[in-house]
Amino acid sequence: MRNLYIFVIKNKDHFVFFLSVLLSSTLLLKNDDPRMQVIRGKSADMVTFISLPIMWVKSLWFVNYENQYLREKNLQLSLQVESMINLEVENRRLQDLLDFKRQTNLKIVPTRIVNKGIQTNLISLTVDVGKNDGVNVNQPVLTPEGVIGKTIQVGNSASIVQFITDHNYRLSVRILPSGATGILRWRGNNICEIREVQKNVNIEIGDQVVTSGFSDIYPPGLPVGDVAGVYDERGNYQKVVKVTIYSELNFIQNAFIIIEYQDAMD
Amino acid sequence: MQWTKYVIPFFIVYIIQLWSVEFLSLSAIRPDFCVLLILYWSVRDGRFSGTIAGFIIGLLTDLSGAGSFFGLSPMLYSITGYAGGYLNGLYTKLSPLYFTLSWIGILCLQFLLSSLVIFQDLLISDLPLFWFKWIASASYTLGFAGILQVIFPIHRLS
Repeated sequence: MRNLYIFVIKNKDHFVFFLSVLLSSTLLLKNDDPRMQVIRGKSADMVTFISLPIMWVKSLWFVNYENQYLREKNLQLSLQVESMINLEVENRRLQDLLDFKRQTNLKIVPTRIVNKGIQTNLISLTVDVGKNDGVNVNQPVLTPEGVIGKTIQVGNSASIVQFITDHNYRLSVRILPSGATGILRWRGNNICEIREVQKNVNIEIGDQVVTSGFSDIYPPGLPVGDVAGVYDERGNYQKVVKVTIYSELNFIQNAFIIIEYQDAMD
Repeated sequence: MQWTKYVIPFFIVYIIQLWSVEFLSLSAIRPDFCVLLILYWSVRDGRFSGTIAGFIIGLLTDLSGAGSFFGLSPMLYSITGYAGGYLNGLYTKLSPLYFTLSWIGILCLQFLLSSLVIFQDLLISDLPLFWFKWIASASYTLGFAGILQVIFPIHRLS
């Protein structure tokens, strides 16, 4: 027994290393464990608290730029609203003609991004809303420009968001007007790639990309980006479509979480 | 053991990392100051302390908001701490060139392992992009490590 003890003490470096790797592997394999999610939710609350001072500094830093941006956006939106009011009236009239009623209601919670993780790659965000605000796991996160991720861990007052830049993030999308669907994934530099798109569909550069609605997480029709390129892979029966993301991902300060949506067809 | 000599530098580096990564982010790639701290500690104090420090810092890093692969940072930082510990007391025995190449190699290995897990789909679908991601993330942190060598050379600790 004593020899064993001496052996362990002599080789404590190796034992500690082995133990660390073993524990890390266990954590990696238990990512979906509910107890782990509780701990991560609590830690998100803590990180939010630590990040508050820098968030305040950042908000001051960007206030001028943001103000100018909001003025321009306000003007654009005012003009858009005008044309949309006309379109809505026309749409209602046409729906009445078709005896068809469709309503889509989104319940949205605004949120501030308090932290963008400290890993070497930007793959997650911490936002300052959580269970207390009605946020749950697997809810879409978006900016006015489009989808940027989904919630994966939720604490009481903060949540962790899997960012669109995470290479393991997937989004089922539809390309308009062709209606072709595919799976979107991140490539880098605000460019994503849609795979699993049929070869026989006609897709043009500039076509709009929106969520398909096939997923239980994302309602249909949320903006994602624009088609930036289309190419055929040799030996593959599917097209690959490059997409430019609307949002300036490096400078995002605020976002919205869709906590509830109804897509009712009568 | 003097806990303050670990806790205070860690707290400072952690706060710098938490607060500065966004400003220093280049195309979603950021420097990793924590791994530099672990490397310095492991070279100074050896494998045992390096591994434990690596594991704890990795755990706190992941708790600060890891989207996926929770548990990857403790593993990678432990490896860095363990490997860095081999350089403890070696500066006088190795030539400066080999010593420098060794710690650069350890950092590159850390980033390679990280990329192999995080960008595993790129390894299959787009190998050049995978190499770019690895080299870019490693070079960015190595750039800061180079600057740090001017201020506080790592060999002073060995």
